[in-house]
Amino acid sequence: MKILIVDDDPINRTILQRLLGKEGHEVITADNGVDGVDRFVEHQPDLVLLDIRMPRMNGYEAAQQIKRISSARFTPIIFLTAVTDEEGLVQCIDAGGDDFLTKPFNRTILQAKIGAMERIRQLHARLRLQKEELELHQERVHQELEVGRHIFSHIVSAGNLMDAPCLNHWTSPMTLFNGDLLVASYNPAGGLHIMLGDFTGHGLSAAVAAMPVADIFYDMTAQGFTIGDMAEAMNVKLLSIMPKRMFCAACLIEVDYRQKSLNIWNGGLPDVLIADGSGRIAHRIVSSRLPLGVVPMTREDRKVELLEMHGDYRVFLLSDGVTEATDPQGGMYGTERLESHFDGSRSPEELFRGILDDLERFRDGAEQTDDVSLLEIVCARASEDPRGIDAKRQRTAIPPTPWEASFTFSAQTLKSVDPLPTIINAVMNLQAPTGHRERLYTILAELFSNALDHGLLQLDTRTKKSPEGFIQYYTQREERLARLEQGTIRLELAHLPRPGDPNGKEPMGGEIHILMEDSGAGFELAQVHTQLLGNTGHGGRGIALMRSLCHSLEYQGRGNRAKAVYRWTV
Amino acid sequence: MSGTINVSRNDKETTISVKGRFNFEMHSQFRAAYQSDSGDENQGRRFVIDLAGTEYIDSSALGMLLLLREEAGANESDIEIINTRPEIRKILETANFQRLFKIA
Repeated sequence: MKILIVDDDPINRTILQRLLGKEGHEVITADNGVDGVDRFVEHQPDLVLLDIRMPRMNGYEAAQQIKRISSARFTPIIFLTAVTDEEGLVQCIDAGGDDFLTKPFNRTILQAKIGAMERIRQLHARLRLQKEELELHQERVHQELEVGRHIFSHIVSAGNLMDAPCLNHWTSPMTLFNGDLLVASYNPAGGLHIMLGDFTGHGLSAAVAAMPVADIFYDMTAQGFTIGDMAEAMNVKLLSIMPKRMFCAACLIEVDYRQKSLNIWNGGLPDVLIADGSGRIAHRIVSSRLPLGVVPMTREDRKVELLEMHGDYRVFLLSDGVTEATDPQGGMYGTERLESHFDGSRSPEELFRGILDDLERFRDGAEQTDDVSLLEIVCARASEDPRGIDAKRQRTAIPPTPWEASFTFSAQTLKSVDPLPTIINAVMNLQAPTGHRERLYTILAELFSNALDHGLLQLDTRTKKSPEGFIQYYTQREERLARLEQGTIRLELAHLPRPGDPNGKEPMGGEIHILMEDSGAGFELAQVHTQLLGNTGHGGRGIALMRSLCHSLEYQGRGNRAKAVYRWTV
Repeated sequence: MSGTINVSRNDKETTISVKGRFNFEMHSQFRAAYQSDSGDENQGRRFVIDLAGTEYIDSSALGMLLLLREEAGANESDIEIINTRPEIRKILETANFQRLFKIA
């Protein structure tokens, strides 16, 4: 150890120097405070023995200066004192001394005190090293999280349509990563799918689990699966990847402006509020399912709430971070205050902003304790095209080749799966008529639902015309489908390539011939026409749309066989 | 500030009372409460979760209840959550936990 002795008494210096030298310590000396401080700076000793009464600068002041200079590392100071009164000793400690040694010196006590100080000094040095390591580690983790956040936000927002004209949204993550997942995307039939998921916990663990969920959302939406199918697929995925104590409270919504319907699946999120033109709550969809990732789903769990969409509806979807936001006193925002906005005194278009402003006022700068998300769907704008979506789409087509495929679906199959997404995917993989997927899907879906609803289930579209009938129609459909024991739907697809004009006036492409035949009783041909016309009314896509999409469309047999031709070009 | 947990056990039943805030900070306390010192099986054991003194419950606490349910035999578990105040009951019911636990 390197020890500095500062004492104006040469005898004391000599005694100490000999004593410490014999112990193997390296000794430096000074005979006044000013020189003592200089020696300290010059030699950086591990320990200082300091006399109190000295010329030029006394021990108290020297101690203060030394402590100031060596603030980053711990250098123990032991005062050498003749005084033994309590007040004098307190003054030593106040000045920054760590211990004191009374004169005349006792060798054993001196050794013991130096030993004790050395232990403390080493402890300090170790602590400092650990602190530096910790800071370095923290910096590294922070940088890695930054990179992770960048990747995460790009995966989750890939093709995200949160800027769809009918959506307003606001999210405020509590940490670098958002534990609330908010995604939206159009399905092939032009319907808009929206999902809000709130994972247990915040930050990285929630974000990691959110990634496969976002993938499933985009993938299955693009393929034309329903939100019930998606909820089930996400549930299966989350059950297999998440620890038991994590789950995801989620709400999935499908906005179908053609059918004028809202499909809502709510598992564990606060009530979805639907305001009408008066700004009051017209409907509320309470959570009727378990959150995702808790237990395997039953058939019942896949079911969604169906609602007829009115043009003046505004749908409000939120995470519990809104209702459980706290003010500086720890009080909660609560559902009552949230719903007070819907008392009819506010104009509907100001509700979204109004809730956010009120929440901000309530929180009054209090620390955020959860991720907060609020989303509004403005149904009046549901049919507007999203901004810049087509520009992004890549156009790759496989050269037109001839092929045929046929499928026959039994009643049992029809009860348990929706075969359309699989079929449209097969067509896309075989021929990739990019840019035609939505139209083809719409044609297939329309012909298929005609065959199933009217052919096999004998439902009457006219039921749908009245608002009450709308729900009644779908209830009837569900009941009859569950009871369906017999009947088949046959689908034949054939592709005929069209080489195009060699002068390049007409690009190459093909014709897809679709035959959809059901085993039902059929209708009078005239009635088919009315049935299809009926679809244009309350909540139907109808014949006008079909005619505009198809090159040709005709019904044959007893009205149970539809033949459509769709032309496409590369 | 998080809460405190009291446990009482007999041969067949464990009662866990949670006072104060039931949140993520209670994780190890809650886990210790249902894992017995003697190491005997929790499967088939009846659990009573008393929330009489609980001020608040967050989603991490719901996650802890799911962990306990797994430990106690998942679908065969016998867990009752008692003395739920209306606000807490609302949170449990929003998550539809009445399908997994008896809630009184």
